[in-house]
Amino acid sequence: MAFPSTLFRSRPICLFAAAAALCATPALSHEAWLLTPSEIEALALEPNPAIFQSRLVLGGGALIASFAAALALAAEDRFRHIEDRLASPIAPYAATLGALILRLGLAAMLLLAATGGLPRHGVVAWTEPTLFVPDMQLQMVPGWDWLIAGQALIGLALAIGFGTRLCGLAMIGLSGLGLGLFGMPFLSYAPHFAAPGLMLALIGGGAISVDRLLEDRDMPPPAPVVAGILWRAALAAVGLGFVYLSVAYKLTQPTLLIAILEHGNFPSFGLGLDWIALLMTGVEIVCGLLLALGRLTRVVALVLIGAISFLAVTLGETPLFHANLYGMMAIFAMAGPRIPAEAPRGVAIFGRVEA
Amino acid sequence: MRTRVFARHGAILAVSAMLATLAAAAPHINAGNTPPRSVFLRLPGDAPEPRVAMDLEARADGTWRLRIDTEDFTFTSLCVTEAAAVPVGHAHVIVNGVKVASAFHPVVDLGALPPGEHDVTVVLRGQDHRALLGRSGMIRANAVVSVGAG
Repeated sequence: MAFPSTLFRSRPICLFAAAAALCATPALSHEAWLLTPSEIEALALEPNPAIFQSRLVLGGGALIASFAAALALAAEDRFRHIEDRLASPIAPYAATLGALILRLGLAAMLLLAATGGLPRHGVVAWTEPTLFVPDMQLQMVPGWDWLIAGQALIGLALAIGFGTRLCGLAMIGLSGLGLGLFGMPFLSYAPHFAAPGLMLALIGGGAISVDRLLEDRDMPPPAPVVAGILWRAALAAVGLGFVYLSVAYKLTQPTLLIAILEHGNFPSFGLGLDWIALLMTGVEIVCGLLLALGRLTRVVALVLIGAISFLAVTLGETPLFHANLYGMMAIFAMAGPRIPAEAPRGVAIFGRVEA
Repeated sequence: MRTRVFARHGAILAVSAMLATLAAAAPHINAGNTPPRSVFLRLPGDAPEPRVAMDLEARADGTWRLRIDTEDFTFTSLCVTEAAAVPVGHAHVIVNGVKVASAFHPVVDLGALPPGEHDVTVVLRGQDHRALLGRSGMIRANAVVSVGAG
């Protein structure tokens, strides 16, 4: 059994990922609602930190980040065989357990959004149905109440793994529809819901799915070459989504990020919070770009899982706010940048297991 | 050969180019010292600035009624995801630092207040819940009310 030794050898990677995770807490599109009235009043008067206006600091930071990325990419080229060997015990499960985690994460988000069970801060639970996320309240788009039933149906289907590939396509459709209905604010969310939809459309329901029982008859998968290209497109959407979030909410609104860090008593490690904010911004942008390019995918996925978890703990948020991201990162951490291989029938936990 | 060189160095070139672009653009964007647009909605400087005042009325049944008096501001219960920079929206009612109500109309029943001093603040918000910013900051009114025991 190779697992303990691989774990031992992967310890430096895990430590690096944990350290980087502290600097990459992603997504601030909804966290602004956590600020108290007095914090908002103080924020209105807060000038942008000088380092976020300094060409010297930002240029130097970009240079250092480029150098660090170059080193990491060189290390990936050199040690790819080690990474593959370390990941080999979990890689075969990406299309089965990974798909299951992604399906259940999306199902939970859809069902809670449809029922208003995961409300925005300050909104009474079960009163405001939304599209995907707490901010996008359906009351703001009169006439689109059918999205409640639509999301609930897709959520239920994903939960049991019925028609998963079609549900994945429906997720892409809903992401596009959300952009049309809510406009630019939905751009913070659309890539991170369209991409998992595309991923599920490509790999199907995975383990413990009705689709597995029905032998994946809901929709034929595309040709392998096309599937590979589309998988890269999903990676690019996820990565660029992170880049967009970090630019829109961190790089160009640094006082908001700092206020949220102060609100959550984020550890500053002896640095000023403005420097912590700059570091987080840089790490997240680099992580997003690497994901978009399909490089260092496993390491970046581990970093982002750690970062999202750290953010949730620091701000006292439920992990369900980011269940879509957890699902995608779980698959990337297992499979790397490549589309997971066809799910081996032997690892089905429930359903027909072929000899 | 050229393909191999690009495959080897393309990623770092792309990362470096993007980081350099952002490092060049960010100082311009951040130079104006504007408060975060995710939280605040700045009203145009050439339009009349809304004003807000408030009146707290003790009622016979022991509850308190808040009347919000505004000028150049329109209350609406219609919320949108991204509001235009116009003086239309609602007010947030904050008691002792905690938001207790969104006022979509100028009259709000606060219910009974426990004995002691209470700091009540009203802040005007846009239709997308962002705090409206006028020429001198947030548009707000504040009052302290003392509630006697019994």
